[in-house]
Amino acid sequence: MLELEVGLRRGGFALDVTASLEGPATALFGPSGAGKSTLLGVVAGLVRPGRGRVVLDGEVLDDAERGVHVPTHRRRVGVVFQDGRLFPHLSAGENLRFPERFVPPARRRFRAEEVVRWLALEPLLKRSVRSLSGGEAQRVALGRALLASPRLLLMDEPLSALDKGLRGQILPLLHGALQASGLPVVYVSHDLAEALQISREMLLLKGGKRVGQGPFLGLLELPEALDLFRGQGLLNVVAARVAGHRAEDAVTLIEPVSGGSGRAAFKAALSPEFAAGREIRVALRPEDVALALAPVAGTSIQNQVPGTIRRVLQGERRTLVVIDAGLTLLADVTRQSEHELGLREGRPVWCLFKAQALRILDAAAPRPSAGTHS
Amino acid sequence: MLSHAEWTALLLSVRVGLLSVVLEAPFALGVAWLLARRRFLGKTALDAVVHLPLVLPPVVTGYLLLILLGRRGLIGGFLYHHFGLSVAFTWKAAVLASAAMGFPLMVRAIRLAIELIDRRLEEAAQTLGAAPWQVFARVVLPLAAPGVLTGFVLAFARSLGEFGATLTFAGNIEGQSRTLPVAIYTFLQLPSGDTAAERLVILSVVLSLGALAASEMLARAVKRRLGGGGRA
Repeated sequence: MLELEVGLRRGGFALDVTASLEGPATALFGPSGAGKSTLLGVVAGLVRPGRGRVVLDGEVLDDAERGVHVPTHRRRVGVVFQDGRLFPHLSAGENLRFPERFVPPARRRFRAEEVVRWLALEPLLKRSVRSLSGGEAQRVALGRALLASPRLLLMDEPLSALDKGLRGQILPLLHGALQASGLPVVYVSHDLAEALQISREMLLLKGGKRVGQGPFLGLLELPEALDLFRGQGLLNVVAARVAGHRAEDAVTLIEPVSGGSGRAAFKAALSPEFAAGREIRVALRPEDVALALAPVAGTSIQNQVPGTIRRVLQGERRTLVVIDAGLTLLADVTRQSEHELGLREGRPVWCLFKAQALRILDAAAPRPSAGTHS
Repeated sequence: MLSHAEWTALLLSVRVGLLSVVLEAPFALGVAWLLARRRFLGKTALDAVVHLPLVLPPVVTGYLLLILLGRRGLIGGFLYHHFGLSVAFTWKAAVLASAAMGFPLMVRAIRLAIELIDRRLEEAAQTLGAAPWQVFARVVLPLAAPGVLTGFVLAFARSLGEFGATLTFAGNIEGQSRTLPVAIYTFLQLPSGDTAAERLVILSVVLSLGALAASEMLARAVKRRLGGGGRA
């Protein structure tokens, strides 16, 4: 658990954040200049807070009033920087193994071979850092951070230097590696869809201040938070299991983990690379979800899921509808639809989405038996 | 080809040059790092003291060394009384004089190289568990290697040309402090010394060019290892 109560001033900028982060992953989200990177710098010990405390798992890392400041190299807080920061005088493999000498064998959490496997680094090891693409460099950077055996991993917009397509390819790999490592992560992003793929637990920051904290869907109900999310691509991310494939219809059946039993499986475009029984996550954009008051016959839309409207959030240009369908789904509709259908809390609706709108993000990587080895 | 005295001067010059570089290198690395990376009280004063031999007449530097390290000097007196150690007017004095004169050049070259290194790489190393001295050894030093090498060569070259401070602090003793420049000067004082002096002059030129060529080759090798191009 990470407890923060920090304040600092830098020119015209003031950071003032009190928060307590628990759980495997927290997405730190906010616009540019919100103080996200500065806050990470404080946790890593690279920036000394003017006042307040940083406490990690009960250990005081900073206490400005009492003059406590544990130096960065003794914090065991790993950082993956936006710009990778691989050492140019070492090869990719040497970068990867750089931190190993600083970690006593008894305290090592991962073996290099494991990390190489999670991040598919094998073909990169002999390469010079300069010859790596942005995505490859970030994979090496994450592997290197893991091999320092940290207690907490901070990721500071690790994919922001990559183009969007590449980001989509690498995110599942990163997510899988993070899952496999079992390390708690604070993931900074100013891209909501990206943040949501790492965690739905969020800490929202704006202008150096905390706007809100908690599960994403809960945050949607905060007016200030909704304001932050404006213009961002929202995303439903659903934990699910592959139920089977129907090759003749070219569909893959997917059962949401929290959907309750007896519910019809979702149909997605045939993806035989994901074996039946595998745990996966699927993404569904709220703008791909249509609402109807009754099931619709004679349509090509393969998924029709009944639910109840829990919240209707009116934005400037769009209306977000939060639907309890066993699992929580977000639908993005126009104000006109809202009025015509009379969408309001408590109303039963059907959520409609095409098989093609469901995107399988990844297979959740299997967790190592204990997350450590000795 | 060379007379015994000429050989002695040549070998002494090379030996004094190498020893002075070895002697001052650790200090120069430390001071360069302090000046490049740390803020502390008296930093300007340290910077000034380090640069002093560059601006003072070498004879003055030699004289100051004599005051400090001579048999009746502040430090030299202590060394002589307690350990029977005498530095002035020996080859050790020649090494010290060379080291003092080359020090600012070495510090400047290394400091410049360290300042060019992206500090964020050092931060990254810290987050990976490297203590400050490990960051220095594993990141700063390798990345600054071309500059460090330049500093060594500059200091060595300065030592080959050292005259004033050496003569003042170490004297003109064959096999002890009669390095190439001092030997050339000595030969020029003799009625029949012109030919010997000329030979030594040619030798000096060859030696200096050799040092330059060697450093250039080394620097290229290091740059190749760092992956060519700049150090971004």
